[in-house]
Amino acid sequence: MLSTHPAALEPPPAAFMTGARRLLGSALALKLVAGVLLLIVWEAVVRSFAPAYVAKPSGIARVFGAVISNDEFLAAATATLGAVVKGLAVAILVGVAVGLAMGRISVVERGLRYYVNSLFATPMIAILPLVTLWFGYNADARLAVVVFAAFFSIAVNTSDGARAVPLEYLEVAHSFRARPFSTLLDIVLPSSLPYLIAGLRLAAGRALVAAVVAEFFISIPGLGYYILFHSRTFKHNEAFVAVIALVAVGVSFEALLNWITRRYLPWARRD
Amino acid sequence: MSPGARWSRHAPVVVSLLAGAALWELSAHFTTRAFWAPLSETLASLVASARSGVLMRQATSSLGLYLSGLTVAILVGAPFGVLLARVRALRIALENYIMMLYATPMVALIPFILSMMGFGFAPKVLVVFLFAVFPIVYNTVEGARSIRPELIEVARAFRSSEWRLWCDVMIPYTLPFAMTGIRQAIARGLVGMVAAEFFLSPSGLGQMIMMGSQNFDTPGLLAAILLIVVLGVCLMDLGRYLERRFAAWRAYEC
Repeated sequence: MLSTHPAALEPPPAAFMTGARRLLGSALALKLVAGVLLLIVWEAVVRSFAPAYVAKPSGIARVFGAVISNDEFLAAATATLGAVVKGLAVAILVGVAVGLAMGRISVVERGLRYYVNSLFATPMIAILPLVTLWFGYNADARLAVVVFAAFFSIAVNTSDGARAVPLEYLEVAHSFRARPFSTLLDIVLPSSLPYLIAGLRLAAGRALVAAVVAEFFISIPGLGYYILFHSRTFKHNEAFVAVIALVAVGVSFEALLNWITRRYLPWARRD
Repeated sequence: MSPGARWSRHAPVVVSLLAGAALWELSAHFTTRAFWAPLSETLASLVASARSGVLMRQATSSLGLYLSGLTVAILVGAPFGVLLARVRALRIALENYIMMLYATPMVALIPFILSMMGFGFAPKVLVVFLFAVFPIVYNTVEGARSIRPELIEVARAFRSSEWRLWCDVMIPYTLPFAMTGIRQAIARGLVGMVAAEFFLSPSGLGQMIMMGSQNFDTPGLLAAILLIVVLGVCLMDLGRYLERRFAAWRAYEC
């Protein structure tokens, strides 16, 4: 069996491969050059066409250190992140419970399907004015919007996962007379975890957007309000540091989920 | 399927919709009108605004904004994504930045757009565009990564013209992924539309929601939210249909 021999899997050292390999070797250099070029274009466009207050890389670099060590900025970042983490925690607890019930109990699924699917498709920022009527213009309203934004994608994905549990697993559990509760915790939940992770990825993005929009709307301290305030007072460079912080949060959450998937759920890799 | 079985399958759905409607109607009688309004008043408000023509005007304005932003996003995003698919060096150079922009909460840019571009139609279209374009580019590039280099090499070996290469390899392989991107863009664009209508110059359904909340006209507020829910559901179904329609092409992969 020549084809399964390890040597057969190694790439042939043919002439046409060296070009491709050189390209891959210089991939990092290519990315860096592209990044620098993008920054130069941004800087040049702003300098030649835009008013002086518009954010540009040199301006952002100048204020970056001062902003991220500023107490007001740190308090804003803590407030936003705190709301997102708290909201996600609530959404996960309730969303997983509702999702598992919908996935395994058909009456629950048929009863709730239209509501959960419709609200999953709704941009949750639309209910923001309603939520401020209920909770007032305060941090509770922000938390509520974050929970609403995150809940439905978790519930929808968990219920898809709970429905996709292989039938053999359930049959084995049934033949060993597992109690329904332990079937749920030991078989259905672990087997729907990859779906839950996919839902969480979506939920985290939505939660971040919801928190920022709520801060714009309610004017409570947070990264969204920090951006709004500083861009209104024409300090775009300072405001942009908060955008960078939001991107960093989004990207690192994505990286965290990828790491968890690789480390603890190796069978659920996306590619 | 016997009528009895069909009834037992659909009964919970019908019961749940009726129960939801009843709950909506009854709960309003236990709260003040500032918090919640009964379904009947909400529907009455919807009919009233439809009669006066306000509904039609605002919905047209919202849809115009949404479709302009989404169209520009598709026209820019899809060709750019396929270009990145074809020019490998460009893709390697830019893919990390595209991923970063894909993960950026675009709402955070609205205050900048407001103070630089003010209150016209163009800044609002820009907001919808920014919400919608990166899912399309990102997913198309993901599709490009799935094209095996052998296919292009074989096409070259048979002296395929650039045109044939695009028709037979590049587009069939990237289109299903681009459709996934367009499905995401359809959903995100709607969020962008509402955000633009809230925070730039108020218009359309966003303005209806805002006015409902400012005038303590809770039935009007709920009516506008209900419209957005219906719009969201229709658009999500459309997106899923498009994705499924072209997903069959993915069978090419193995």
